[in-house]
Amino acid sequence: MSTRDLVLVALFAAIIVALGLIPPVSLGFIPVPVHAQSLGVMLAGVVLGAKRGTLTVALFMLLAAIGLPVLSGGRGGLGVFMAPPSGYLYGYLAAAFVTGYMSERFVNARQTGLVQGTYFFVAALAGGVFLCHLLGVLWLAFVTGLGLPAAFMGTLAFVPGDALKALIAAFAGRAVMVGYPLLPQRA
Amino acid sequence: MNTLYLDGQSLLHRLPTRAKLGGLALFSLLLFAVSHPVVLGFAALAAAIAYSSTGIGWREGVARLRPAFITIFAVTLFALLFQPPVEALTILFRLTALMLAAAAITATTSIGAFIDTITWAAKPFERIGLVRAADIGLSVGLVIRFVPEVTLRYRSIRDAHQARGLKVRPVTLIVPLLIQTLKNADEIAAAIDARGIR
Repeated sequence: MSTRDLVLVALFAAIIVALGLIPPVSLGFIPVPVHAQSLGVMLAGVVLGAKRGTLTVALFMLLAAIGLPVLSGGRGGLGVFMAPPSGYLYGYLAAAFVTGYMSERFVNARQTGLVQGTYFFVAALAGGVFLCHLLGVLWLAFVTGLGLPAAFMGTLAFVPGDALKALIAAFAGRAVMVGYPLLPQRA
Repeated sequence: MNTLYLDGQSLLHRLPTRAKLGGLALFSLLLFAVSHPVVLGFAALAAAIAYSSTGIGWREGVARLRPAFITIFAVTLFALLFQPPVEALTILFRLTALMLAAAAITATTSIGAFIDTITWAAKPFERIGLVRAADIGLSVGLVIRFVPEVTLRYRSIRDAHQARGLKVRPVTLIVPLLIQTLKNADEIAAAIDARGIR
């Protein structure tokens, strides 16, 4: 891994941390407040690709583990890996990888903006929404012992907000592709 | 950035980091192996004693765990709706014990001690060529250095919107933030290489 890749990973981890510092916003049509941290995870996948994106999230999780309050709401420490919502945190790792992998495979610079945006959106939906929530629900259901129906009900309220974030990530991915492409040069 | 480490001289402070992390792993495995609410209740009590032995104090100790406890209570309430009360009690005690034990380790282990342990743990992977162990500490340092920078950039883009009477939208905010940050990466990488840090 080049020094540039190392710096990119560190910078993106810093962006994810900074997005967690922004207070969560309530959107009118969604019953729960939306925070921006999982947007950072989708952005890492869309902009940096699978390898660097996954490393970014791994570094972010490492910072949380060693006691820096980097998660939204100033949470941190080893406890965040053993709490009821920890499945979503592990989901971030899978989300960055899948979003990054799909972005690398499907998007190239010759496609039109609409095609690129659509592929980025699909990649962010598959990784950042579907997979992240799947791991979150499985953790809640089996590790926490809540059972599948209750866990599923609990996660539903967060899905619309996350789908919206996938859309924002797709727009941003397309814009970065035009302005400063990093995806073609794989790490 | 503030850390969750707390200065002190308690027993937990003096134990080596490897022993603490190994102990925490073992403790959490045992908590999931046992499903008797009384045993788990005692485990939670023991974890609470360990947590308070760090000298954290009542106010700060509770403030740190408030978000975690809110989710634990929410899950317990949900469990009460769908499962017998004994199950809900098991969940409550198990999660509380985990939370308190982890918080005790976090409060008594400094960032430096963690990074030393992680670098030590990464050494075997370095030997087979997967990672460079020293990179881990460097990246952690870089992130801590970059967070205020990114926050500052976020604020200046927001102010630029407001100065022009534009509505602050996520896309018009995040795209310049990303591109500015990416452009910065080349300079920082060149600076690191020029100084022979890596």
